[in-house]
Amino acid sequence: MATAPAHPETAALEGRLLPPGRERGVRAAARRNPLLVVGAVLCLAIAVAAVLAPLIAPFPADAGDATHPLETLDTPSSAHPFGTDQVGRDVLSRVLYGARISPVIALLVLAISCAIGIPLGIAAGYFGGVVDEVIMRVTDVFLAFPALLLALAFAAVMQPSVTNTVIAIAVTWWPWYTRIVRGQAASVAGRPFVESARAMGIPHRRILLRHVLPNSITPVIVQVSLDVGGVILTASALSFLGLGAQDPTPDWGLMVSQGQQFFTTHWWLVTFPGAAILFTAAAFNLLGDGLRDVLDPRRVLTR
Amino acid sequence: MRSLRLPVLVIAAAFAVVAAACTGDDDGLGATDDGATQGPSAFTYSVNSEVMIGWDPASGYSNEVIALHNIYETLTRYNDETQEVEPLLAESWESSEDGLTWTFTLRDGVSFHSGRELTAEAAKAAIERTTELGEAAAYIWGAVKRIETPDDRTLVFELSYASPLDLVSSGTYSAYIYDTEASGGQDMAEWFAEGNDAGTGPYTVSEYNPGDEIELRLAAYADYWGGWDGDRYENYVFRVTPEANTAAQLLRAGEVTMVQRMSPQLWQSFEGQDGFETTSAPSWQTLLALLNTADGPLADERVRDAVALAIDYEGIIAALEGAAEPLSGVVPPGLWGHTEGLQFQQDLEQARTLLEEAGYGPNGDPLSLELTYLRGDADEELVATIMRSNLAELNVDLQVRGMQWQAQWDKAKSGNEETRQDILVFYWWPDYPDPVSWFFSLFRTEEEPFFNLAYYSNQDLDAMIDEASVVSATDRDEAAQMYEEMQQIVVEDAPAIPLYTQTYQRAMLDEVEGFQDNAAYPNVVFAYELTPAA
Amino acid sequence: MTRFLVRRLALAAFVVLGVVVLTFVVARVVPGDPAVTWAGPRARPEQIEAAREQLGLDRPVPVQIARYLGGVASGDWGLSLRTRRPVIDDIARRAPASIELVTVAMVLAIAAGIPLGLVAARWRGRAPDLLSRVSAVIGVSMPSFWLAIVLQLIFFQWLNVLPVAGSYDPGLDYTSPLRSVTNAPIADALLTGNWPVLWSALSHIVLPAVVIAAYPAGVLTRMVRASVLDTIGEDHVRMVRALGFTERSVFARFALRHAWSPVVALLALVFAYALVNTFLVEAIFNRPGLGSYAADAIAALDTPAIVGVTLFVALVYVVGNLVVDVVQAMIDPRIRVA
Repeated sequence: MATAPAHPETAALEGRLLPPGRERGVRAAARRNPLLVVGAVLCLAIAVAAVLAPLIAPFPADAGDATHPLETLDTPSSAHPFGTDQVGRDVLSRVLYGARISPVIALLVLAISCAIGIPLGIAAGYFGGVVDEVIMRVTDVFLAFPALLLALAFAAVMQPSVTNTVIAIAVTWWPWYTRIVRGQAASVAGRPFVESARAMGIPHRRILLRHVLPNSITPVIVQVSLDVGGVILTASALSFLGLGAQDPTPDWGLMVSQGQQFFTTHWWLVTFPGAAILFTAAAFNLLGDGLRDVLDPRRVLTR
Repeated sequence: MRSLRLPVLVIAAAFAVVAAACTGDDDGLGATDDGATQGPSAFTYSVNSEVMIGWDPASGYSNEVIALHNIYETLTRYNDETQEVEPLLAESWESSEDGLTWTFTLRDGVSFHSGRELTAEAAKAAIERTTELGEAAAYIWGAVKRIETPDDRTLVFELSYASPLDLVSSGTYSAYIYDTEASGGQDMAEWFAEGNDAGTGPYTVSEYNPGDEIELRLAAYADYWGGWDGDRYENYVFRVTPEANTAAQLLRAGEVTMVQRMSPQLWQSFEGQDGFETTSAPSWQTLLALLNTADGPLADERVRDAVALAIDYEGIIAALEGAAEPLSGVVPPGLWGHTEGLQFQQDLEQARTLLEEAGYGPNGDPLSLELTYLRGDADEELVATIMRSNLAELNVDLQVRGMQWQAQWDKAKSGNEETRQDILVFYWWPDYPDPVSWFFSLFRTEEEPFFNLAYYSNQDLDAMIDEASVVSATDRDEAAQMYEEMQQIVVEDAPAIPLYTQTYQRAMLDEVEGFQDNAAYPNVVFAYELTPAA
Repeated sequence: MTRFLVRRLALAAFVVLGVVVLTFVVARVVPGDPAVTWAGPRARPEQIEAAREQLGLDRPVPVQIARYLGGVASGDWGLSLRTRRPVIDDIARRAPASIELVTVAMVLAIAAGIPLGLVAARWRGRAPDLLSRVSAVIGVSMPSFWLAIVLQLIFFQWLNVLPVAGSYDPGLDYTSPLRSVTNAPIADALLTGNWPVLWSALSHIVLPAVVIAAYPAGVLTRMVRASVLDTIGEDHVRMVRALGFTERSVFARFALRHAWSPVVALLALVFAYALVNTFLVEAIFNRPGLGSYAADAIAALDTPAIVGVTLFVALVYVVGNLVVDVVQAMIDPRIRVA
């Protein structure tokens, strides 16, 4: 999405004299970006929950194979703060273990998207011409599909699993990165110093690695941090539809889908896993927003 | 930005107030509907999914059966309480000593909805068309060599091998009698597909709205042979509400008369409530786990027995909270041939011993098994989850896969033995009230596997299957005895593990009197037999 | 202008072709035999073979692709394996209700997103801004299927003020039957003056529309805020400020006008997104529409229907983008050169 050009003077108008694109000290940045701080703290909490799950969860075996058919659908109580599910497993433990799945899926998807999207984008932007046309047309075709739809089609085709969810979403996600990077690469490639470098016989590889790549990275980082939330939502939508993680994996989307038939009589099955999805996506979105405000060189207005 | 915000908020508030006010009546929240919106004494059946998948009684093999059994009739009807076949369109019947000739005497005064009178010729035409078309369960008439009609009321079936035609003619599918001349020359299949009916039953089609929530309306057929005295439902409405919570709410509001299926938890919320009635009865939908006896670890009978002993059957029943009941043998309760006392019980110690004997134990080889079930079926998923957990206690790794039916089936029938799963979980129910269905389809030796996905082959059992089938044509009791023995063999050899039989948990308004599920006709409500209390 | 138009059209056509081929490829890889789906779960082998012939699955793959492409161009999108009707008929019948739902959702999203974005920009850095941004983040992070269930729980189960499912009360089919003009309940009710159905349909659309509106509202809030903040930083606005106009009138004059621009740009993107989200929402609220049709198709592995719906949504997206591009080009000549 296009952003308006920066106006350092506007910042001055507001009574602050900020050099464009630079924060003055971490604490000042934190004060100016409360949302970034909140986001970072929440993400940290999620990471801690994920890593320490075996220690914090009251019934770690319930996140795996264990079932307790005589304790099914228990109301939340001190023994089971989030209640038990339809085969008697502790919902709190499963929600905690779920923190290991969604964020990891998101990071994998984005890693793959970058691995595919960045090289393609650089090639398209830097070399231009036919290469550019071909790559961008193919990218356009993929972009024409809303991500969820294509991911749905792929996931319906393949055997449902976490791995295939990652693949299905990655296949639909990479085009954005190609587009972003292409724009950056094209603008770098057009600069005079690049032309003179080529004239001097410096190999493409050097130019790409030394100049094009570093300049294209920042918008990618921003985009990645903004996308984590989106991927988490897409992945949980897929597992809600039964096309992603399978039992006994404590995937939050799967838990919501399994609890759906009970939601009027046993509300806790649906509420807690879903709240976890919201919480995690929001945390990463806050982080992403904050990062964008801080890192985006074209945005000086840090609020 | 005050100038913009305020109007928006006001509109939103106004909308919310209006919406809340208007939902008061039209959703029947709290108020009981007096039936004015449904027409005179209408039985409204809330069903889970689309009813009229097909219209042709000769090829219907799916959900439409719940409507077809009210529009059409069969020669006989099975009573799962008495385990007897009762007269319907046929008043009486008898078979010859060898079971090769069956003579049915038709009832007088029966007419089709088209006005034509029911004669033996007409019945013969219907059965012949069904068998010629060869779709759905037409195979049930497979023994029929020739049909004679010596007079208007008499149907004589000559068979090439003995077959219990009284049971066949009471079948769930492909046994309807219909008017083959109702289409007036047009191809019958096309005529049916247009939404026409050619039955003799108490109700006839009055309105069809494919894809709509109120999909089908049936109205009383005035000239029905059973007559319309007394209090009976004169209209029959099928309302498709896949969402169980909506169905429950509609029932509470009195907008539907009965709900086909809701979760056990929702059903429990109606139990004992004033104004409602609940029933629970076993169906003939048996859940079986077929074990691959041909290749893989389950070829070893000890391993099969170990798996059978590992399962927490009581836990499964408990977790299903009333949606299922324990199954003894493979023939479900209510069907003749059912035998008590053959249930498996969980015995982890014994299972462990057997596994060790077979070479898999803490000191032996690791054991990994693959199980497939029908994706989307929450009950099957629950069973699979508990089974995996049970086997995990024996250090057996059970890989569970939810798959579409076709995919499961292809996998089981695959030419490549490596691909085949070890355990296939699915429901089986008969096409007509005869235990032979399980044995013939699931346990009889098959060169090319069709439904015998356990690859089970037992020559003795094959012989018994053939014999029992013949005997059932003439001596039902002896046949039942044979089926008891056959089930004992199956339980011994364990090509399949019977897990449970589903129960029908129905909730309805207490105005309904006389309702009883008949497992031979799954989910069919014979509204004609019900009495709407005043 | 014509050059631009022609170029964009050619591009769009290429993309559509790519979409068709891609969906066909995806469909071919689907496991499970369409012939078996057609013949039914307890079909005998001969019946399955007959179905295979009838569906043309015994021809070689390139022939199938060619037939499919030809079919698509001429309006034959195949027969649904589940409903046994032409897919294009099914889609034409089901789409209006979904489009109506998405439209209502978009109206709600705009009605919520723009004011929130303006509030955030106007009082930047203070409480309203923070609250706005937090609600925007929540909107964008909300799993729609969960929101749907939770809203049902609150408004249907606990408070009992809104219905849980359907597009209007079917009991009205007796007392006040709705005549179908467009197959979209609210539109039909308005067009035929059927007030009971209109009220019922409105009350039934509230929750689903709110669920679908959450994400677009969140996105719009942020976009509007960003766009407005950029705009009021621009030169001509600075000058107006320098001339002594109050912040409030500056805002009213310039910011509002520019708030609309990102909305237009976002519409196509978000409309397609919302259309896809109707999948989940229609299934959960049991509303007949394209989304529930597609959900049923996926559950039944009804390949022609899945392909048809995918194609339709992609086409809507492509056409929508095209329209937006043209509109923006008409407004801003600079874009045409891009």
